[in-house]
Amino acid sequence: MATMKDYSNNISPNWCPGCGHFSILRAIQIAAAQLDIPKESLVVATGIGCSGRLSGYMDTYGFHGIHGRSLPVAQGIKLANKDLTVIAAGGDGDGFAIGLSHTHHAIRRNVDITYIVLNNQVYGLTKGHTSPLSHKSFKTKSTPYGSVEAPILPAMIALANGAGFLAQAFSAYQEQLVDIIVKAIQHKGFSLVNVYSPCVTYNKINTYQWFRDKLVDLDQANDYDNKDFQRAMNKLIETDCLCTGIIYEKKEASYLDLLQAKDSSPLSKLALDFSIEEFNKLIEDFK
Amino acid sequence: MKQNISILIGGVQGEGVVSTGLNLMKTLSSLGYFTYANRNFSSRIKGGNTTLNMNVGVNKAYAVSDKVDIVLAMDEATIEGCTKHLHNEGVLLYDSALKANTEAINSIKAFAIPITTIAKELGAPSMKSTSAIVFLGRLLNMPEEIFIESINLRYKKKGPEVINKNLQILSRIYQQDTISFKGVNLQLAPPREQTSRAVLMGNDAIAIGALVGGCRFVASYPITPASEIMEYLGNQLPNYGGIMLQAEDEIAAVNAIIGASYGGVRSLTATSGPGISLMLEGIGLAGMAEIPIVIVDAQRAGPSTGLPTKHEQSDLFTMYYGGHGEYPSIILTPSTIEECFYETIRALNLADIYQCPVILLSDLTLSLSPQTIEGLDFTKIDIDRGKLLLAVPEEQGKDSFERYSITEDGISQRVIPGAKGGIHHVTGLEHNQVGGPIDSPKNRKSMMEKRMRKTLSLSKGKELIIEAAPNSNNRTLFLTFGSTYGVLKEASKACNATIDIGKIKMLKPLPCKELEAAFNQYESIVIVENNYYGQLSKIIKSELGYHNKIRSVVKYDGNPYSIDELMEEIGGSN
Repeated sequence: MATMKDYSNNISPNWCPGCGHFSILRAIQIAAAQLDIPKESLVVATGIGCSGRLSGYMDTYGFHGIHGRSLPVAQGIKLANKDLTVIAAGGDGDGFAIGLSHTHHAIRRNVDITYIVLNNQVYGLTKGHTSPLSHKSFKTKSTPYGSVEAPILPAMIALANGAGFLAQAFSAYQEQLVDIIVKAIQHKGFSLVNVYSPCVTYNKINTYQWFRDKLVDLDQANDYDNKDFQRAMNKLIETDCLCTGIIYEKKEASYLDLLQAKDSSPLSKLALDFSIEEFNKLIEDFK
Repeated sequence: MKQNISILIGGVQGEGVVSTGLNLMKTLSSLGYFTYANRNFSSRIKGGNTTLNMNVGVNKAYAVSDKVDIVLAMDEATIEGCTKHLHNEGVLLYDSALKANTEAINSIKAFAIPITTIAKELGAPSMKSTSAIVFLGRLLNMPEEIFIESINLRYKKKGPEVINKNLQILSRIYQQDTISFKGVNLQLAPPREQTSRAVLMGNDAIAIGALVGGCRFVASYPITPASEIMEYLGNQLPNYGGIMLQAEDEIAAVNAIIGASYGGVRSLTATSGPGISLMLEGIGLAGMAEIPIVIVDAQRAGPSTGLPTKHEQSDLFTMYYGGHGEYPSIILTPSTIEECFYETIRALNLADIYQCPVILLSDLTLSLSPQTIEGLDFTKIDIDRGKLLLAVPEEQGKDSFERYSITEDGISQRVIPGAKGGIHHVTGLEHNQVGGPIDSPKNRKSMMEKRMRKTLSLSKGKELIIEAAPNSNNRTLFLTFGSTYGVLKEASKACNATIDIGKIKMLKPLPCKELEAAFNQYESIVIVENNYYGQLSKIIKSELGYHNKIRSVVKYDGNPYSIDELMEEIGGSN
């Protein structure tokens, strides 16, 4: 049985002490160990920002691409080799500003990957700028008079867009976070995990304490049914999206399920030889 | 009897002009004739006038003349404009269902032919295409039989009923129609050999090249004039276990092929200028992270949306210099349909061997002009995946895998996820040999040099093809690339092949030594291209010098050069 250490490469993260991201990195490693994923079969694709460095701290295959594009890269990897477990990870800027369109399309394309958003509602690595998830009146270097733009509600738009697996977690609730990541990876299709991960340096509003006070834990609610779309939507409205747990899950065929037979070869392992008969047939089509 | 005949088919866009032309081209190509056609169309789905300008002959043609022997008008606009297309002896055929402006046609030989009437009479107006082609066959004194096989082949998928109806049209026009093309003497000489050849556009050849070249993943966003590549591969790839993904934009497309290629599958995207602009950051990532990808750029008139259905060769600077920062890339410039096929396979190989982005630079005319092709040589198909390791030897895999090890040729071993002992990190940040981010000046310098070293050895081959006139003492070389080569070749033929012409097949790395050796043989070099700046000429000047020898000839009105225009240039220079 693997342990979380098997997935750690012993490089010290360059995150600030107290950053919520440490807990998410650890949770991914624990979840991988619980699922006993061979480390060479796990790929973590990340974007740019503090969160983007996460792939560099995993002793697995890691791809640190460009800002906002971890999802196209991750989908490409999975489609190349369906035997791999593919996790995309990035910050709120990555997933909901520059890369928002990819998030929407990844949801509707439903390739079997897990997307973990390290959401701290601020741009940390640029030294404190507002994020599209920052609340109104949030003051940063780019919003010296306070933000006047309404924040995006990631869970709400994901659900409205047909997400097959939608969960929210909080860096400080690690047990639940691990459990959610395990289930997200197990989900056959695209899974979105939005993790509230406080930035201790640049976000003095959405602090650990702030989340502890506000977050509603759906696992504690006896009557909550996460297969019920209507109830999931209501719960998001009710809690102003400030809830943790698996908010919604439905079973449906993934992108590859619809395109390929179950026993088909991963693209990366296809034999590429071509017979002259096949070749001639291709040319005949143009006669 | 004539060695070649040119035909212009004009009609309302979306009403079968192109399919009519293609059907005729395929029929004639199945007999051993060579055909070539240019399309002229606008950015709308239905309506507006569109024309297909076609050359049919005993010998292969690479471009089409401006003045044609026959205009086939399927709409009134084509009748109106026919005199500008016809040469003095030319013939107009027009659908008798159209109102012909007598003023426009009274000075020329014109025949009203019942294209629509017959198609309607025998079943379906959609069979106008067959009706039109068969009338052309009669005009050219071709035997009726040649169309029988062609109709059988063309409508096989649609079933016997459709075949029969089309055959009825054939027999009706040959056996019963009384129209006589009096005074017309247009008969093609017999083909040199009776062999059946295929009709392909550049985009078809690129797509087939990708498929047989081992590409199994394509991500693209539809755009003129590149969409045919994703369409063809979207249809074929599932038969070979592959996938075509229609991405949400070109940024997603290029990043998806980067991911897929990193995942181990040969991957390609096809686009045009606007898509290239969006892809540049991703192309730079592939350069930095050393991921093999192939990008087809079918150039059209820019900047911005420009003239989306018009021809230009103006992305050279963007592709040669483009993307922020510096990274090695390879640019191939095929100039014929056959080269589109071979060079796509080569592009996939070069990407794997040199682990960098490879751009296959086509242009609208090359991508969209159908022509009869010589047989493609199956034995030339070769797949070389370079330094790709399928499994990591045990002793090598003990420590971190050195994906970016510093080597003499700059190229490192590559391993794909899933391989034991191959775990490494890939990043667009500057990195060390195991892919870890690092900003030390020493590492930066050696990594820059490692990447840049990769393609240094590349321009050894025959990247410059010169076709000198027999016993040439010419002082001038006319040099070009892409589809402009075809026009230059035809212009050269029209001057009885008395000039020296050349084409360049690889733009980056520029084959400097070959160019230099060639330039030393001439007093002047005329570089012909379709853009404003004279981009090829400027790139060559900046890399090689020869400023006093090089003259730039450019055209940037949205149309390719005509043979006549280039003949004027040639006359002025020789």
